[in-house]
Amino acid sequence: MKNHFILLLIFSALTSLVLAYIAKSGRRERAKYFLYLFCAFVGLSLVAAWIALPFPF
Amino acid sequence: MDTEPLSDILPEPREVNEQAGFAITLAACVSGAFIPGLGHAVLRKWDRAIVFFASIAIMMAIGIRLEGRLFSPDFDNLFSALKFLADAGLGLLYWIPWLRGMGAGNPTAYTNDYANVFIYVAGLLNMLVVVDVFDIAMGRKK
Repeated sequence: MKNHFILLLIFSALTSLVLAYIAKSGRRERAKYFLYLFCAFVGLSLVAAWIALPFPF
Repeated sequence: MDTEPLSDILPEPREVNEQAGFAITLAACVSGAFIPGLGHAVLRKWDRAIVFFASIAIMMAIGIRLEGRLFSPDFDNLFSALKFLADAGLGLLYWIPWLRGMGAGNPTAYTNDYANVFIYVAGLLNMLVVVDVFDIAMGRKK
């Protein structure tokens, strides 16, 4: 399990799940919030990685 | 003289969530701080208890497996202290592996940074979970 992208997906899924259960009640609300957080985690991480790509460290 | 019925004048009664007693609130918060999800189990919120325990324990296990470090109590340096506090938020999931000598960490490992983040975030999420237990026990949330 050394693929960083797979680890990012696992991290995003577990963190989003906990936050969705804390912040929302009701299955539908939680599912929507989980998807929103998951996509935000993954999408923003990829954007940050793309922006950091030219930096030499 | 016509009079309006009282029910038309008074505002609709707001729904009030049940508030747990002091002892149950304290027991739920303390048990939640020691074992993720146990506080919700004390309040009979079984779905949340299972989700919180499973998610946080999996994150912790992945962190250890990927050669992350469990930071020891060290208050000489601000960042070391913050790292320890984040890790220690896991309660017994931190202290038992730490006392058994696990989580020495390997800074040269390919996954060391990711592993440390998994452990920090698991501890910080458990702190949020304890706040959630408190809110439920106080009747602020269902």
